[in-house]
Amino acid sequence: MFSAPITRRSLLASAAATALVGAARAAEPGDPIRKLVIVSAAQASDPQEFQAAQLLAQAWRQLGLDIEVRGLPRPELSSLVWNTRDKWDMSMWRMVGRPERSDPDEFAYNLFNPATAATGYDFVAHNDPDYMKIAEAQRAELDRTKRQQLLYQAQEEINREQPYIFLVYPKNVLAYDKSVWKPETVTEQSGIGIRSFWTFLRAEPLTEQKDMICNASEALIAMNPLYISGALDSWVTEIVWDRLMRMDPSGLPVPWAAEKIVHVDPTTIDAVLRPGQKWHDGKPLTVEDVVFSFQAPATGNKSPMYKPFVANIKEVSAVDDRTVRFKLNTPSAAFESSTLAKINLIPKHVWEPILKDLADKPQNVETVQEPMPIGSGPFKFSRLKLQEEIVLEANPDYWERPKMNRWILRIITNVGATLGMLGRGEINFLSDYRGDPKILADFAKQNPKIEVVSTIDMGFRFVAPNQRRPPFNDPSFRKALSAATNRQLMAAAAWNGYAVPANSFISPALKFWSKPGIDDLKVDMNGAKKMLSDAGYVLVGGKLHYPEGVKETLASN
Amino acid sequence: MAYFGRRFLHMLIVLWAIATILFLLFRLMPTDPSIAHLDPTFTEEQRQLVRAQFGLDRPLFEQYLIYMKNLAEGEFGLSFRQRQPVMGLVLAVLPNTLLLTSSALIVAYLFGALLGASLAWRRGSLFEKISVPLVLATRAAPEFWLGMIVLAIFAFGLNWFPSGGANVAGARYASEWERIFSLDYLRHLVLPVLTLAIYLQGLPALLMRSNMLEIMREEFVTMARMKGLSERRIMLRHAARNALLPLVTAFALGFGQSVGGNVVIENVFSWPGLGRLLVDAVANSDYPLAQGAFLVIAFVLVVMNFIADLMYGLLDPRVVHGEH
Repeated sequence: MFSAPITRRSLLASAAATALVGAARAAEPGDPIRKLVIVSAAQASDPQEFQAAQLLAQAWRQLGLDIEVRGLPRPELSSLVWNTRDKWDMSMWRMVGRPERSDPDEFAYNLFNPATAATGYDFVAHNDPDYMKIAEAQRAELDRTKRQQLLYQAQEEINREQPYIFLVYPKNVLAYDKSVWKPETVTEQSGIGIRSFWTFLRAEPLTEQKDMICNASEALIAMNPLYISGALDSWVTEIVWDRLMRMDPSGLPVPWAAEKIVHVDPTTIDAVLRPGQKWHDGKPLTVEDVVFSFQAPATGNKSPMYKPFVANIKEVSAVDDRTVRFKLNTPSAAFESSTLAKINLIPKHVWEPILKDLADKPQNVETVQEPMPIGSGPFKFSRLKLQEEIVLEANPDYWERPKMNRWILRIITNVGATLGMLGRGEINFLSDYRGDPKILADFAKQNPKIEVVSTIDMGFRFVAPNQRRPPFNDPSFRKALSAATNRQLMAAAAWNGYAVPANSFISPALKFWSKPGIDDLKVDMNGAKKMLSDAGYVLVGGKLHYPEGVKETLASN
Repeated sequence: MAYFGRRFLHMLIVLWAIATILFLLFRLMPTDPSIAHLDPTFTEEQRQLVRAQFGLDRPLFEQYLIYMKNLAEGEFGLSFRQRQPVMGLVLAVLPNTLLLTSSALIVAYLFGALLGASLAWRRGSLFEKISVPLVLATRAAPEFWLGMIVLAIFAFGLNWFPSGGANVAGARYASEWERIFSLDYLRHLVLPVLTLAIYLQGLPALLMRSNMLEIMREEFVTMARMKGLSERRIMLRHAARNALLPLVTAFALGFGQSVGGNVVIENVFSWPGLGRLLVDAVANSDYPLAQGAFLVIAFVLVVMNFIADLMYGLLDPRVVHGEH
């Protein structure tokens, strides 16, 4: 009894010299690992996420860990995870898809960038200089194929390190009435779904019903080309205000209001405007308007949400009456997707006076709601009631006039009634569905005119291990957790089959960039146990302990 | 007049207390509002900027003083999410809520009063034995469930009425008045009103019944019978009129309560009302908007209370306010 600690201490003292001895004898356990807590959205607010957390806990308990799942209301969860970054062990989290995220740069560069660990994206405090080198390289690589190779490397590195344990890419389920809309003209955009710019532009009515009536399950917030107010609002801004480029259905940027984009040198880009464009008020769209559109978001702090998207522009100027030249601070592969396809073109004659007026006021431009918004996109504003509906009319002057007459978005808060309305024709395009996908599928079976389309999201769900807190700073530990995770079961049980297993920050929806077969994602419980024991973790009486000599420094909370 | 003045002052104090409680309520909630309504991917710098813009970076007491001063000036501030003046957002939906509430209350109280009177009149009959539990059941049934049943029958089953919203998609009207009085709007109003009325009629029905039972024992009813008046005439003209008084109070209070209490009905029928606005605001920690909506509801409630008190004095000569 008395001699045991002495023996251990003496062994430790000569640890360096006795590596061989250490390997030969059974490893001495360190402190037992404290109870680990997974924070998740509460069951009521996100049943899928909560169930996924339960499945994780079940699996990881088999490794000898004591795991608790704690459900919190969404705002409280966000506040805990985002504002008090050293206070939690693991959190269920998600990144959502947006058209400009069709370029993998935002995730590739920001998610694991230690510079953002304190207050930004890298909330797990991952720090891998090798990875950052690749991430830096890909954003400056203008050759698509070379960049693809770099992003493959980046995904492999992340797979090795497991800074996040990716779970699934959810599927979005939407539907429309195919007796009203010609199915071939309803376009699925990769990672986004059929609720896309291309559908709204090109969907062809088959009957006298020439209005597309969409639904949204919550109220609109604002309609402002300089304010990213919410997901629903962005469907509207996207079709009212035009952009120099658009993300095509496969997720790559294509010239749009610009006829062509010329890369003069790595930091100089020319956009040549399509001739004869007009604002909705009839005034011609000029190069000055375009230059202004890219300068406005950078005005002081007046448009904080769009400002980051123009931060790389050193100078923007008119070369001739159709060409706009962008000078960049650093070469950027994502410039086309995250700036040219993102910034709304706004009329200088409307917004210059507004910005001038705001110059010495505390308010920013997000407080401005134009009574009659003016853009140059395929749809013109007709009227807006935040809690009820928004009505847009096809812009007859647009170079590709939409096939429909009007685009109407109805706010319908009752999911059950939404399906009934789709059946009755009160809406003819289900653009927002937050209910059970199975119910929608059954509904479509009974109503043959309803076509359901499910699309893999470009966003993903994951569990974030906080690397500020051991044992999550140990890649082997994270890898073992990942290996013990049954993603197939999770997709089938928690997401009802409407999700696919994930192991990368690039969703398979971004076909060009996502690395195929990055991992077979097979569950390997024994492999996980072996990884842990290889890394020095020891099971004592079914409870997992740290490797030899490692103390538990944190209390469970 | 002195009573009126005192009562008015009383009302102001109540409103001040409500405003103060609302202020504290939202600020003492555990979540930081700047996280709830911002994209969590915001940088700290952006977040601080927004906090400063909404005055959230100042000490609580200073925030309170600014808030009170603004309220006194009728300034409710800008909402966090819409970045728009709160009053405008509230006023845009208030008419819908007032119409829904008042129509439902009128239907419920007309029906409830008649039902209550006849229940009392036919005390002990089979009609009463069936009706009373039925009234209690509709009163206890969850509004959500009731709403879905009404939808399933009258919208999806019989196809008589639209299933949500306040107008047919894309309908255009020259003015708000024209819209509200359009046939289209009324058709959309029917099902939510029906549901709310079914839910509300229990109170007046039961209240009326017990009042009637009391009044029917009074001498003037016997007197009327002796005069040989028809039962129908006695019931409606003599007894019911007297039994109606407490219903006036209940109506006024019910009005105040229903203005904010229609959240469920508004959600089921996608009715663009104040309740939905309020729930959205609370869910998103949008203090100014939630405060504004709550204050408007409190204001309506307090004013209706005030009116009920005054009405009582006018309608019932037995009630005299002070001065003796």
